[in-house]
Amino acid sequence: MTDKSHRTAGSRGTFRAISGRALQYICIAVALFWTVAPIYWMISTSLKSELEATRLEPTLIPESPTFGNYVRLFQGDLPFVSFFINSVITCFLAAIVSVVIAVPAAYALSRRNFRTADQTGYLVLVVRMFPMIVLLAPLYLILLNTGLLDTMFGLILGYTTFGLPFAVWMLKGFIDAVPVEIEEAARVDGYRQWEILLRIIVPLIYPGLVTTGIFVLMEAWNNLIYPLTFITSIEKQSLPAALVLTFTGQFKTDWGGMMAASAITTLPLMIAFFAVQRSMVRGLTAGSVTGT
Amino acid sequence: MGLPKRLVSAALIAFVGLSGTVHAEQVTLKFANWATAEGATRDGMEQVISAFEAENPDIKIESESIAFAEMARQLVLRLRSGNPPDVAQVAGNDTFALSSTGGLEPLQGYADKAFLDTLKPGAYEPLMVGEDLIAFPWNQAPAGLWYNKKLMEDAGLDPEDPPETIDELNEAMAAIREANPEVIVLGIDTTNRAFALQANWPWIRAFGADPVAAGGAESEEMQAYLGWLRDISEKGYIDPGRKIGEFRPLFAQDQVAFLWDQVLVQGVIQSTNGMSAEEFNAHYGVVPMPAGPGGKGYSFEGGHQLVMFRDSQHKEAAWKFMKYLATNEAAVKTYTIETNRSIPPAKSVGDPAVAELLDTPVIEAFSNDIIPTISPMPFGPEFAEYATVIMAGVQEAVTSDRPVADIASDIQNQIGN
Amino acid sequence: MPAHSKQASSRRAGGKAPFLHWMVLPTLLVLLAIIGYPVVSTVYLSFFEYNLLDFTPPEYLGLDNFAQMASDRIFWISLKNTLYYTGGTVLVSMLIGTAVALLLENLKGPVWTAVRALVVSPWAVPFVVVAFLFRFMYMQNGGIVNDILLDLGVIGNPVSWLNRADISLGAIIVANIWATTPFFFLLVSSALSGIPDAVLESARVDRAGLWSTIFHIKLPFLRNPLVVGSLLMVISNFNDFAKVWVMTQGGPGYATTTLVVYVYRMAFERFEIGYASALGLIWLLLLLLVSVFYIRLLWNRQND
Repeated sequence: MTDKSHRTAGSRGTFRAISGRALQYICIAVALFWTVAPIYWMISTSLKSELEATRLEPTLIPESPTFGNYVRLFQGDLPFVSFFINSVITCFLAAIVSVVIAVPAAYALSRRNFRTADQTGYLVLVVRMFPMIVLLAPLYLILLNTGLLDTMFGLILGYTTFGLPFAVWMLKGFIDAVPVEIEEAARVDGYRQWEILLRIIVPLIYPGLVTTGIFVLMEAWNNLIYPLTFITSIEKQSLPAALVLTFTGQFKTDWGGMMAASAITTLPLMIAFFAVQRSMVRGLTAGSVTGT
Repeated sequence: MGLPKRLVSAALIAFVGLSGTVHAEQVTLKFANWATAEGATRDGMEQVISAFEAENPDIKIESESIAFAEMARQLVLRLRSGNPPDVAQVAGNDTFALSSTGGLEPLQGYADKAFLDTLKPGAYEPLMVGEDLIAFPWNQAPAGLWYNKKLMEDAGLDPEDPPETIDELNEAMAAIREANPEVIVLGIDTTNRAFALQANWPWIRAFGADPVAAGGAESEEMQAYLGWLRDISEKGYIDPGRKIGEFRPLFAQDQVAFLWDQVLVQGVIQSTNGMSAEEFNAHYGVVPMPAGPGGKGYSFEGGHQLVMFRDSQHKEAAWKFMKYLATNEAAVKTYTIETNRSIPPAKSVGDPAVAELLDTPVIEAFSNDIIPTISPMPFGPEFAEYATVIMAGVQEAVTSDRPVADIASDIQNQIGN
Repeated sequence: MPAHSKQASSRRAGGKAPFLHWMVLPTLLVLLAIIGYPVVSTVYLSFFEYNLLDFTPPEYLGLDNFAQMASDRIFWISLKNTLYYTGGTVLVSMLIGTAVALLLENLKGPVWTAVRALVVSPWAVPFVVVAFLFRFMYMQNGGIVNDILLDLGVIGNPVSWLNRADISLGAIIVANIWATTPFFFLLVSSALSGIPDAVLESARVDRAGLWSTIFHIKLPFLRNPLVVGSLLMVISNFNDFAKVWVMTQGGPGYATTTLVVYVYRMAFERFEIGYASALGLIWLLLLLLVSVFYIRLLWNRQND
């Protein structure tokens, strides 16, 4: 309810306060337009007929709104629903696998209870930075030789290349923020190390786990190169890759259909994102305030 | 739990195996293609595959859907790792790049001279590398200059007399811009994809240039070509960077006057704006490329080929399938003509229903006037590099004001011939 | 560092700390399998001439690939583009994100919650979609951006945003800023909410002005989150492929070719795996440099 900037300005004069407030609202309005306009355009275009969507004089509001583009997505020749499900499954599993494997490592790294902790920590950071695209060809061969090419499992492994080091790095930040003293009581009670991790640390950093998981999920969902390379049959393709592959076909670019598909591709990420936004906000600060 | 289950399945396999020997041994062919990776062609391709399997119960086709843009990469990686498919759909330079790996099975042993003679002249010859036929022509999709008769009329041009030289084209473009400042006057792909060099190559040739010959990239002819593009770009006739597929919906709504594009345009336009064939022919026409300063115009072959891999275990079956796809008349009707909207390579067709489909003004123009003007491409392992370098120069020419001579000498330096 | 090792050893009374801890083993094993081998093979191949198209064994070149890189005009262009792309995006998004977070800081109620949600929403838009969406909006003819600017009279003729060498990189950066700003907005918002009330209260008592409150009270609290957040975004943008690839494929000319696009073209269009590996190696070293810089920044802060 209270507005600090208003109050500080208030002591200098009502006029400045009002004009300051007006300026603030104008800036917010500009920012809002900037973020919303492209999304509006995506949805608006997705509701236009094919001819209207490609017109040289674009219409701001669809003249005769139609859900035809969406219907075609789900009734068309291509298994759009499968793309969607493929992406959901692989990205969720990649996030879960990354976080589960990363938690003990992050804990050990945070508590530095082994001699090579610093070196290991740097190693993880380095790996996190390695350009994905250069890993592509050797990874392809690994997957091929293990029979994992063109499987969801192979794709999940691929996502793990960036998900796991990222999760370790991020979770270490969260665990760093948990005071060591909290563990002491448990230690006195005779808890083993893994029990401390599971019963004390994990509940405490729960928001951090979710935040990290969502980050990995989003990076996996955004990833284009891995599914393009590791998934060879279109039925198993991820949603973003399928978007690239199927809407730039040999005949024409169908912007209406493309925007409808884009909206559908965006939707789950929006939902996942808003569902956890609260814990994410807390997690972000917890993870970043203590740094490395 | 595990053991009995395994026993049962072993018994089942043995049983199926035994009963199977009554029939001929079934072979499975892996067919990598992008026809099943795109919504517009998936259904037609699957129909043809089922029909083939019905006719050949001993052959099963395992279709692997790979996107067009990914095909070359997938095939090269799979060749390197010893896991190629049996048959693949390929196009353009990819065919030649694959052949240079040595991983393809030469086809002259399967397609004898008599069979090849049933194809149109020029259909398979470009696919010969030395003695080897590296691929089989599945369908033909050359490019011509499409024009919109209505927009020509509006500009006071005679729609029955489309430009025959690039000078005439320049005049026509000026007239259209004058009459209608809103439309895109010439739709031509100036992206930096390998396909774009294919599309631009005939124009480069029409100006008499050969940028990959010694000194060719900085020749006067090449500079004349770049200068022409710069000029029509400055006048706002073209829309740089738009992919060819992005021009087509506009062409369907009278917003592009001339379109340098393949034979499939008719099908795309009709499906976009719902015109009948008669309406289409009254509204649009297609002619060969206007003659350039060299006195001739050219075209490019944008069709698809079929290749067989050397590692295939079932080469006879693979050939049977390839031959079926390219020349079986039911397959040609369902896929080549009605789905892919391209032209079959065979000289003549027996089935009158198929012949009728091919008897249209557009296909006639392509078969009689345009296909003979196809110019060979500098395909090979270097082509991708040529494409990157030359199209980078083309893009620089149409979007910057750097002197054309400098751009040309840059191209020359990077090609290095 | 010394402080930490003291802590660690104090916790493990007696016995010497082990060389490795079993808890990091799963991570190390997975990384070894999926990254160790690819990295080793990349380093190894960077010393070879190795083209996937000719089936001859790789030819040892020594440092030739790296020498070639030094005189490779396109490598330098793509390096420069990558720096502009990453630097421009991260800096501007950070500024806008921070500013918007400060603007919305004290506005409460359902309306403002909704506004916040809208401001954050671009972050949930997948990169591929961002790329297609902006490519569509940037079209020279029929693009909404030109349409609006023409109507407003800002420009006289349609601008070919993605196809002019002088502005195409900027146009992609703008799209990228659109997608990245919400991250910083979120980061700064949460950091702001973490500032103890007592600190703000004392600033109020001291009658600190608006700007002085922001610069002297709030910004110090934002420093570390911004350092970590910008490191994350630097890495992410260095690796960003989808946006440039979908919007321009590196064109016109090489105006928007970033390292990732260049390596991709080298490796998967020209199949020059050796040279591409060498490029990748240099790239790795570059990122290491950046991260060392960041780690320093954080350490300094923590040792204060």
